[in-house]
Amino acid sequence: MGSKVVTRKTLATFAASRVKEEQGKTIEVVLNDRLGKKVRVKCEDVDTIGDLKKLVAAQMGTRAEKIKTQKWYNIYKDHITLKDYEIHGGMGLELYYN
Amino acid sequence: MANRTDPAAKSIRGTNPQNLVEKILRSKIYQHTYWKEQCFGLTAETLVDKAMELDHLGGTYGGNRKPTPFMCLVMKMLQIQPEKDIVVEFIKNEDYKYVRVLGAFYLRLTGTDTDVYQYLEPLYNDYRKLRQKLVDGRFSLTHVDELIDELLTKDYSCDIALPRIKKRWTLESNGTLEPRRSALEDDFEEEEEKEEEDQIMAGLENGSHEKDYYRSRSPGRERDRDRKRDSHRHRDRDYDRDRGRGRDRDRDRDRERDRDRYRIRDEKDYGRDRERERERRRRRSRSRSRSRSRDRKDRGDREGGEHRKRHRSSVSPRRRTDEDGTAREESRKKKEKKEKKDDGTDHPDPEIAEQNRIRASLGLKPLRP
Repeated sequence: MGSKVVTRKTLATFAASRVKEEQGKTIEVVLNDRLGKKVRVKCEDVDTIGDLKKLVAAQMGTRAEKIKTQKWYNIYKDHITLKDYEIHGGMGLELYYN
Repeated sequence: MANRTDPAAKSIRGTNPQNLVEKILRSKIYQHTYWKEQCFGLTAETLVDKAMELDHLGGTYGGNRKPTPFMCLVMKMLQIQPEKDIVVEFIKNEDYKYVRVLGAFYLRLTGTDTDVYQYLEPLYNDYRKLRQKLVDGRFSLTHVDELIDELLTKDYSCDIALPRIKKRWTLESNGTLEPRRSALEDDFEEEEEKEEEDQIMAGLENGSHEKDYYRSRSPGRERDRDRKRDSHRHRDRDYDRDRGRGRDRDRDRDRERDRDRYRIRDEKDYGRDRERERERRRRRSRSRSRSRSRDRKDRGDREGGEHRKRHRSSVSPRRRTDEDGTAREESRKKKEKKEKKDDGTDHPDPEIAEQNRIRASLGLKPLRP
């Protein structure tokens, strides 16, 4: 047992020590539909796109299901977090409707 | 050319029937291959064949929101506008559940209020399973009666905004519709009768006090949905407990147990003998009075009213003792204030407070400070 043997036990304890509550950074995202609607939303890194859409819908007055967020031709999917899409603070997203 | 509505078709709710579907969804349907290939030149008869081939329902799905074949067929029906008899045939047929659901959906969009309630309510008794395609492309399980419930109560289904229809009680008060008779009504009446027998013995003890309570009750509020009534009923623990025990166990044992149970509960709530007895009497009178009235609606309303009144009157003993009452109210207020702070809606920055308020209403955690 000279070298570091990674046993299942060590992996488990390592993982346990790393698991913290998901703490995201607060970022502000701008959604623009180029037709007059511009919405600034404060949200967290770890929020999903679905949550972002709900926040936008609450501010805008449409339904969350009607909103589509894009960046050029990449349509953002509802279940992926902003962090994973690398959406940073101040970034502008395109707002389309379904 | 192929997308023009039949020129002989009537306008629905003051507009081209195809306009019931929103512009964006409409153009998506027109561009869809199912529409172009299968729905070209369909008539009412050939539409039936296509409808029989359906195996799922749903709105739009996927990242670019493709419409389902169900949507395309709804659109086709709006375009050709079949006769009402044909639509009713769709709904009445028992063999193909998706044809039924298609007919029901179309009727909900285009029919008058009376028609909608008249033809859709019998479908509450259909318990068959349906496959529904969700927004992310997965399938989920639903049932025919769940879908009909959605059509009759919500204002948005399958990505189409359903036109507004009058509430049921409005139509009932106009006299254009009969009060709703549920298929479970006979079962309920049987159980009411059994309960009445059980409670007669108990009722004899209480005598005059019951009558005073009966008179002083406030008239029930109008309710338009049986569902709410039923859920109220089932949510009421005591009702369930009463029913279960009254039917199965020995009556004396039942009464003893009930008394003990109420006593323990009441000691926590009131700590007073008088309140305890009143509580017991109230509960019994409620179940008795429920069986008295034949009209289910009144029954449900009264029960709801009593249920509420019981809780309301439960506050009164606290108010009587001023010292205890005020102290309790203060501690309650403090607790509420503390809860608000956890929510983050008390943030000094009004923008963040606003965001946190929206997040709390959506069920998300507040922003990290």
